[in-house]
Amino acid sequence: MTPSLLATSYLGAGVLFILSLKGLSHPETARRGNMFGAIGMLLAVLAVAVQARLVTSPLLIGSVLAAALVGAAVAARVAMTSMPQLVAILHSFVGAAAVLVGISNQLEPAAILTGAEKTIHDLETSLGVFIGALTFTGSVIAWGKLQGVIRSKPLLLPGRHLFNLALILACAGLIWVVMGGGPRALPALLILMGISGLIGIHVVMAIGGADMPVVVSMLNSYSGWAASAAGFMLSNDLLIITGALVGSSGAILSYIMCKAMNRSFVSVILGGFGAEEGAAPALAAGAQGDPIATTAEDVVEALLEAQSVIIVPGYGMAVAQAQHPVREIVDVLRKRGTQVRFAIHPVAGRLPGHMNVLLAEANLPYDIVLEMDEINPDFASTDVVLVIGANDIVNPSALDDPSSPIAGMPVLPAWEAESCIVFKRGRGAGYAGVENPLFLKPNTRMLYGDAKVSAEAIVRLLK
Amino acid sequence: MNVGVSRETYPGERRVAATPDSVKKLVKLGFGVVVETDAGLAAGFDDASYIAAGATVADRAAAWGCEVVAKVRPPDAAEAGRLSPGQTLVSFLYPAFNTELIRTLAQRGVNALGMDQVPRTTRAQKVDALSSMGNLAGYRAVIEAVNVMQRPLRGQSTAAGKIAPCKVLVIGAGVAGLSAIGAARALGAIVRAFDTRPAAREQVTSMGAEFLEVQIAEDGTGTGGYAKEMSPAFIAAEMELFAAQAREVDIIVTTALIPGKRAPVLITAEMVASMKRGSVVVDLAAEQQGNCALTVPGQAVHVNGVTVVGYTDLASRMAQQASTLYATNIVHLLGEMGGADKFELSETNDIVWPMTVVRAGEIVWPKPPREEAQVPATAHPAKARIYSEQHGPPAAPKLSQGSRWGMLVTGLALLGIGISAPPTFLTHFTVFVLACFIGYQVIWSVTPALHTPLMSVTNAISGIIVIGGMFQVGGGGAARILGVAAILLATINIAGGFLVTQRMLRMFHR
Repeated sequence: MTPSLLATSYLGAGVLFILSLKGLSHPETARRGNMFGAIGMLLAVLAVAVQARLVTSPLLIGSVLAAALVGAAVAARVAMTSMPQLVAILHSFVGAAAVLVGISNQLEPAAILTGAEKTIHDLETSLGVFIGALTFTGSVIAWGKLQGVIRSKPLLLPGRHLFNLALILACAGLIWVVMGGGPRALPALLILMGISGLIGIHVVMAIGGADMPVVVSMLNSYSGWAASAAGFMLSNDLLIITGALVGSSGAILSYIMCKAMNRSFVSVILGGFGAEEGAAPALAAGAQGDPIATTAEDVVEALLEAQSVIIVPGYGMAVAQAQHPVREIVDVLRKRGTQVRFAIHPVAGRLPGHMNVLLAEANLPYDIVLEMDEINPDFASTDVVLVIGANDIVNPSALDDPSSPIAGMPVLPAWEAESCIVFKRGRGAGYAGVENPLFLKPNTRMLYGDAKVSAEAIVRLLK
Repeated sequence: MNVGVSRETYPGERRVAATPDSVKKLVKLGFGVVVETDAGLAAGFDDASYIAAGATVADRAAAWGCEVVAKVRPPDAAEAGRLSPGQTLVSFLYPAFNTELIRTLAQRGVNALGMDQVPRTTRAQKVDALSSMGNLAGYRAVIEAVNVMQRPLRGQSTAAGKIAPCKVLVIGAGVAGLSAIGAARALGAIVRAFDTRPAAREQVTSMGAEFLEVQIAEDGTGTGGYAKEMSPAFIAAEMELFAAQAREVDIIVTTALIPGKRAPVLITAEMVASMKRGSVVVDLAAEQQGNCALTVPGQAVHVNGVTVVGYTDLASRMAQQASTLYATNIVHLLGEMGGADKFELSETNDIVWPMTVVRAGEIVWPKPPREEAQVPATAHPAKARIYSEQHGPPAAPKLSQGSRWGMLVTGLALLGIGISAPPTFLTHFTVFVLACFIGYQVIWSVTPALHTPLMSVTNAISGIIVIGGMFQVGGGGAARILGVAAILLATINIAGGFLVTQRMLRMFHR
């Protein structure tokens, strides 16, 4: 294959990748977009296989087939509630692959370089390894936290900022050594890998469960930058382009998530949210009292009288797997002519857009699932709001209590509706550890118990 | 500390600034309450019920001698003359129109808080008397119109023939306008509404009315949830629209106010003349000279069979409910000022300070304009935007100090790279930077509902690192093994990512 032909295949693949992301602007075009992405990937892999004379290599075919089978099996089996874990572990693979490619390239450089080119190449290699290792360990920890293998509470070591700083300085020093070349370069690269892996572990360990959407998007971004760095190292434009696309995608998602929590990116990454403030949650003045409990019977009565209903799902719905009985509630109500809609907060769940996927899985049409901006004005004119397993995203103190740890975070004003019913497992505070005055509002009723059991009880009574 | 509740002396005013319920709340805040004899009689609250709630009923002098005096209408000259330094007056003041009164209040050395000066913020809603009164006035406007109309609003087919549904035009979709829309809809009318603020559109449509538009794009959003004055071209187009609508509709409700100014004339005499006989115009802006050229404030006039209702006491016509809401606004305000124990007029309080017109004899109105922190929205102020409809971050009109430094640093960095880096690197660097920009543009267009598929598909395409592994397999020894491992991991990503994305996207359906 000529170099020009290879370059044009890269160009084609790059354009197809852009189209595949572009397709996601609407559910109608998204599937076609995904196909574009897959075709682009096939094109790129085939072109490189021809170029590297690997088309008939049993090693390549065998490993690709085996890995593709594993990937397909995982993709077919994974529960939609476990999507955050899957995404996190896939990030770790990209990180690991970037590290492997970087070290392999250091062992066996493709071309002999000299002077400034050599220095830059070494810098690219070490950056790729640095970001890759950080992504790998960070994603594995994120996976563990999401999976529940590791405690989701933030782990806060004393002097952790100084510790991080020291590690980063050490990495910078090691990169310097790698750039110096010679026999010390390889060991330095390996130590760099170890230390940046430690940074990844330490940073993600310090981040609490509620900040997981930001962390996962951030790691998404890093996995892209790692691929980009590998592209620079190998002088491969396709890797650079793809890495940049993925990197900016993750960065924008992180930005959106941070905005939705009214927190700066830096404060999320430095970690510790929900630990210091959460220790002594202060109740807003005048909000004392006990939440009023209700029963499934009363909820059904309220639902049957309502003209319009908004459902606010949160991570609790995913944990309880309540989306299917909720779908049945919606079906019954919609058949009766009640207007039912879902309100999705950008940080509901553990992954950007997680709730949308769960509701889609439960066979709910996407046009009744609305974003916060679209539906917030309608709460005031709604009869019943069902809050299912959500807490901080419907907390009024974000708006009216400047001393609240979540002050200024945009929230869904569930309290503006005629009545608000909160499905809640127990009486504790939310992930951010903040008390929720919504539960004490006069028009709020609490339906305690597992969200799935409660929803199923309501379905039975409705039918 | 006592709160005096004055009886209203303005002709036809039936409201009162405290109800037995609000008295109980004031007592809970630590205040003593002195209610003037018969203050609540017109609103349906007799003196006995105030006494039962814990208030003292006394004569006018006693009520006006309290530390805090609460009333509804702005005080007249005689009432203002009763005040002395140290007292705090809380009532509607309309300082833009009542300069004489404000000067008198300043001379008396009192504090005066205008219930019409409540800032339009989420937190201040509980005190917002203009909204609570506007809400009732909008409802009442429709009721007054129906009262004059000689036909029902709801369409019906009967054995004796068809009753056509009434068509209602509401101009200005603020609190009063939206309330009028709701009332007219509930009575079965076909409702159209017009507002110069684009944000009003979804509020109007959510109430079940049709949103009328002119063909000129101009944003009429002013400060504090009000509209601003529009350009002549816009006004001409707007008048044309109203003229066309006037020939068609049966009821026009106008609610267009510009703070501190005469209300704009939107319905001319010719338009009224072109309306069907038996039609009604209800002018909620009558107190500020009216949106209709023929409005006579305080009266209903008949012109060519069309009734122009200019009552200025619509809220007062539902005095009981209006008083209850107003009294609650007062309670919230006094609570915001610290209750009886910590009562103070603090400059740092973001509700109390903007309302303060006179402080200790000094006129502190109008306040210097300041940056509005919140997006004002009349009926739904809780709305908070994360990012715009186009999913783009709002463009900054001017470069901030920070971004100027940022550009400088970027420029210097580019210079440094240009001097030291080899050309091959720069080719790749160009590709990289441009790809970042493309990524930025493309990702903002992704709908938030598909953010999870976005992550899984980016997972899949970042598996492109597989080609890095493939180039390394060609080597030997350890490099080869590492290359194969990279291929394995990356391929799991590619296959898993694309397939799980496909599986997810299949679930999304309309």
